[in-house]
Amino acid sequence: MTAAEVSPFAPPEVEFTGVSPALVRVRVMLSAIWLGLPALVAAVVALATKAAWVWSFTALFAVLLVWALWLVPRQVRAIGYAERDDDLLVRKGILFRSLVVVPYGRMQYVDLSAGPLARAFGIASVQLHTASAATDAAIPGLPAAEAARLRDQLASRGEARRSGL
Amino acid sequence: MPVDPPRAGEDAPEELEWRRVHAATPAIRSWKAFVGILAIIGWQLTDNVGDLRDFVVGGGWRWILLGIFAVVLVAAIYSYLAWRFTRYAVGESAVHLHTGIVFRQQRQARLDRLQSVDVVRPLLARLAGLSQLTLEVAGATGSNVELAYLRDEDAVALRAELLAKAAGVRPRAGATPAAVGEGGQVEGAPGEEPIPAGSPGADAAAGAAAYAAMRSTPARPVHEEAPERTVIELPLGRLAGSIALSGTTLFFLVLAGVLIVLPIVALSGGFGRDALREMGGIGGLLFLLPALLGLASFVWTQFSTGYGFRAAISPDGIRLSRGLLETRAQTIAPGRVQALEIVQPLLWRKPGWYKVRMNVAGYGDPADVAGTQTTLLPVGDLDQALLACWLVLPDLGTDDAVGALTNALHGTGPDGGFTIISRRARPIAPFTYRREGFLVTARALVLRLGRVTRRVQIVPHERTQSLGIEQGPLARALRVASFTVHSVTGPVRPGVANLDLAVAARLMDEQSARARAARAQDRTERWMDPEA
Repeated sequence: MTAAEVSPFAPPEVEFTGVSPALVRVRVMLSAIWLGLPALVAAVVALATKAAWVWSFTALFAVLLVWALWLVPRQVRAIGYAERDDDLLVRKGILFRSLVVVPYGRMQYVDLSAGPLARAFGIASVQLHTASAATDAAIPGLPAAEAARLRDQLASRGEARRSGL
Repeated sequence: MPVDPPRAGEDAPEELEWRRVHAATPAIRSWKAFVGILAIIGWQLTDNVGDLRDFVVGGGWRWILLGIFAVVLVAAIYSYLAWRFTRYAVGESAVHLHTGIVFRQQRQARLDRLQSVDVVRPLLARLAGLSQLTLEVAGATGSNVELAYLRDEDAVALRAELLAKAAGVRPRAGATPAAVGEGGQVEGAPGEEPIPAGSPGADAAAGAAAYAAMRSTPARPVHEEAPERTVIELPLGRLAGSIALSGTTLFFLVLAGVLIVLPIVALSGGFGRDALREMGGIGGLLFLLPALLGLASFVWTQFSTGYGFRAAISPDGIRLSRGLLETRAQTIAPGRVQALEIVQPLLWRKPGWYKVRMNVAGYGDPADVAGTQTTLLPVGDLDQALLACWLVLPDLGTDDAVGALTNALHGTGPDGGFTIISRRARPIAPFTYRREGFLVTARALVLRLGRVTRRVQIVPHERTQSLGIEQGPLARALRVASFTVHSVTGPVRPGVANLDLAVAARLMDEQSARARAARAQDRTERWMDPEA
């Protein structure tokens, strides 16, 4: 592998685990609510008032909805996490990629959260917190059992390696 | 009632001695409410100066006075009740604070998470001989413990006690204060080389022995202040010069020039006089007031928080004291500074001044725009800036620390071990591409940024929280990436953009490894405990 091919987003000997495809469904439903409903409302208003300019709102929301529907599956496929011996790697993003390395010894606490839609599809989000507010190590879309396992494992590893602040 | 002996693995319930804050506290707090109300009403009334005259003549002022009196009475009663319900106690491993009249709050701050102890003395409290003690314990903003107000002697003694407990100073049986030999040398433990007086090691040894001697007589748990050695002092002239030579002052002067000179020029030509009459006489010029107030407030804040600035080193850590009307004495425990930044704006390049800021867990209040807590050196020359770095990191981890830091401040190019950003990033960073880069030493990561405003960021390896690499579409096309070191909330955000991809990947790996190794060796949590 030449120097030009080494990418920090694909460290050697690290296998990234993907998240559940159920997250795609959850996000699509959310987009449908937040973008589809306003499009529908705008269409109804346009039909009712017969004003041409209201159609532009409908068009805007419809375009955004289509874009979201195209983007969400790719975004979810791009989320990955990897547990190494001493730290956790979380990789996200397609256009704006980011990779975060969180050492176990620096974890302050681990959050597991699931909204109503996520619970209905059996997924949850695990977030690590360090002393830094800028640490964005949130892994959404984990199957519930895997989320619980990850949370417990991170908590115990963090406790074992905890070393001050 | 006899207390059961502690079972294995369980702490015995502590006998805590609950104390109250000083009885004058409600008076000081309600006086602040009075001043606040007066300011609000005064501001409302000066909105239209003409109305004020009518108001005074018309007799409506009696109702206003009644209103003020009622508000102050309510504030006084509330403050008194709050004082009644406030208690604090210092245990072996935590400080307990109970507050709240209706919504009771019991806060427990662990001493091994202690970041800093600040003794703040607002003007009114100073006049009454009182101080406020603030402990930062590395929670989010607002998690600190504030004890207001205590007598000055009590606050100082309490600070010494808290720092001694956080340091893990253990009482030794039959301990005697360290013997001070000939020539001012302090003897270390038997068999060790005598430590020359004046070095941090000597202070630590003398301080530790003094503390241990104090603690070995539990009947009289009086804690004395640790000795300190002043390292940096800020002369008044330099402070005034730094305020005058700042970007904000320049901006306001330009603004004031435009607002004042233009009307005068217009006035001299007849046209102006009509315009002035249009604006309603001299009262119309009051619109200048907010702009001038903005400048005055900036100048005042900078001056009053930088006045009398002094930095000292002691076994307790770094001691900073500053302030004109409200004085503040901060003690930052060793190893609690998470990141450091030296800044030189363009205007300070000629006089050769620098400003040093730091991140400390608990100090990063976003409302603290002036940086009163997070400024390690408001303004100083190169020697003082390097001294400020030495306060935080006595050992930078490289043979020529002064040379490395000077290179970081002024240098460009890959000399001195610096790895600069990728050549491919030249189109998007044309001015900085030879300047920005990083240097790894045995103890810290040094980042060099900026060509117009020169900045150097230093992050000790053991203070690294997490690491991040980001890459936007433009960076991806150029095959570069940004490397960020996540640090606690504060003015310093360490990171360097536009690094070559392979370099960024390698830095990420190596930095994780270095941080792990440094964490394993970190002894600063209980820094004077010989068995930690």
